[in-house]
Amino acid sequence: MVKFEARNITKNYQHEKYQVEALGGINLKVNEGDFVCIVGPSGCGKSTFLRIAAGLENPDEGQILFAGKQVTGTGPERIMVFQEGALFPWLKVSDNVEFGLKIAGVPKEKRSEISSRYLDMMQLTKFADSYTYQLSTGMKQRVAIARALAMDPDVLLMDEPFAALDAQTRDLLLVEMQLIWEKTKKTILFVTHNVAEAVVLGNKVVLFSNRPGVVKKEFSIDASRPRLLEDESLLKFQQQILAELRPEVRKTSR
Amino acid sequence: MNILSKMTGKKIAFYIIFVAVWQLVASVDIWPNTIFPSPFEVAEDLVYSAADGSLFFGIGTSMWRLVVGLAIAILGGMILGIFMARVEVVNQTIGSLVLGLQSIPSVAWVPLAIVWFGLTDAGIIFVTAVGAIFAVTINTYSGVKNIDPNYIAAARNMGAKGGQLITEVLIPAAFPYMISGFKQGWAFAWRGVIGAELLFSFLGLGFLLNVGRQLSDVSLVIAIMLVVMGIGILIDGFVFKRIENNVMSRWGLR
Repeated sequence: MVKFEARNITKNYQHEKYQVEALGGINLKVNEGDFVCIVGPSGCGKSTFLRIAAGLENPDEGQILFAGKQVTGTGPERIMVFQEGALFPWLKVSDNVEFGLKIAGVPKEKRSEISSRYLDMMQLTKFADSYTYQLSTGMKQRVAIARALAMDPDVLLMDEPFAALDAQTRDLLLVEMQLIWEKTKKTILFVTHNVAEAVVLGNKVVLFSNRPGVVKKEFSIDASRPRLLEDESLLKFQQQILAELRPEVRKTSR
Repeated sequence: MNILSKMTGKKIAFYIIFVAVWQLVASVDIWPNTIFPSPFEVAEDLVYSAADGSLFFGIGTSMWRLVVGLAIAILGGMILGIFMARVEVVNQTIGSLVLGLQSIPSVAWVPLAIVWFGLTDAGIIFVTAVGAIFAVTINTYSGVKNIDPNYIAAARNMGAKGGQLITEVLIPAAFPYMISGFKQGWAFAWRGVIGAELLFSFLGLGFLLNVGRQLSDVSLVIAIMLVVMGIGILIDGFVFKRIENNVMSRWGLR
């Protein structure tokens, strides 16, 4: 069943005197429970596409459909995890996780129950009363994921959430992310510039072309889980994707 | 703790020397005591005015006016600053006026206050509030303008909008800036209260200064000035420093 669909999404930016065509008509269908990784050359509009999917920006043309119905603006069924986490420094970790629930008017008792469940899942229980500056980058991203999961969205939108992590922390989170996906059965759209990361996480990888971004090709990654970055079975997928990605990256440097 | 006691030691030594030199100069009799009183005489006047209650009544009156005026300034300044930061039209129109108004010293509002409110508490409070409001406005504006856009995007994504966005995100996120606005605002307000009382009030510390001048009681004038200064130091240290330290440590900025 198609859970999320983008139909002919275009987006242009006025950049001082000239116009930048960021997205040139994105068509994408995501089935319920899919883990879709979006890769593409930098500046291809993949993050813009994710913001449009979240309803944080409006497309110039085209529609976003959720469960077959067009949606505009933000909604609790599509929740985003930002690159730098975007955790609120004025709130404790547990209050960060409860933020969306508080906005929605969920009573305090229910909120703490939900937040402690997700903090437990992310192994953060000890840090519930910490402030965000006391956390490492990896822990911050775990909190950001817990905060998104606490909203119980149908679609999780992740914008290069592991880009700022050191290699070892990223390695851990790549495994954790697969376990979370299996446990929660969420539909996930995950933007990354890292092909190795994409083939570890996704059961599908979508390749965006150079600007203006369109979907150049989709790949199915049929390999057993949990996967690791160094798995040999993933190499052929990486090679296939990189072969298509390189010409696009070359275009950006011309 | 050791460094702290060393520092207070230096401070105490400085003030002892300061008072000693003052006493010395006064006792040399270069100027008559009516123009240059000794610290002993100033202390005597302080004790007299405390004993007959007029000092505490003056402090109470001035503080009451300060608190009301400052509360109005903080509330109004926050609302104005948030609107300026979030609505471009408001910034371009009212914003330019605010910058101009901020350059007017608060006592310059006294003639208007007298015409509009007469010789009343409301007039003093008006001068106090108008002297402080623009500092709060400008700092709130900068604070809201400097909020990491991802905080706002994340909050909107989790359903925050309108009043909730303001109280749950904009104000706490801008608070480190706003607190310096409150500090500046309080300093302007305190000057405003004393200045306005000096010019047109009965009661209050500014009024006592005026009484001292009319009686040619210079030691009373200096005594009241010391009280004004002392209250300034106390409020700055015990109210604003505390709030500031609290916020800064929570954010990990200290």
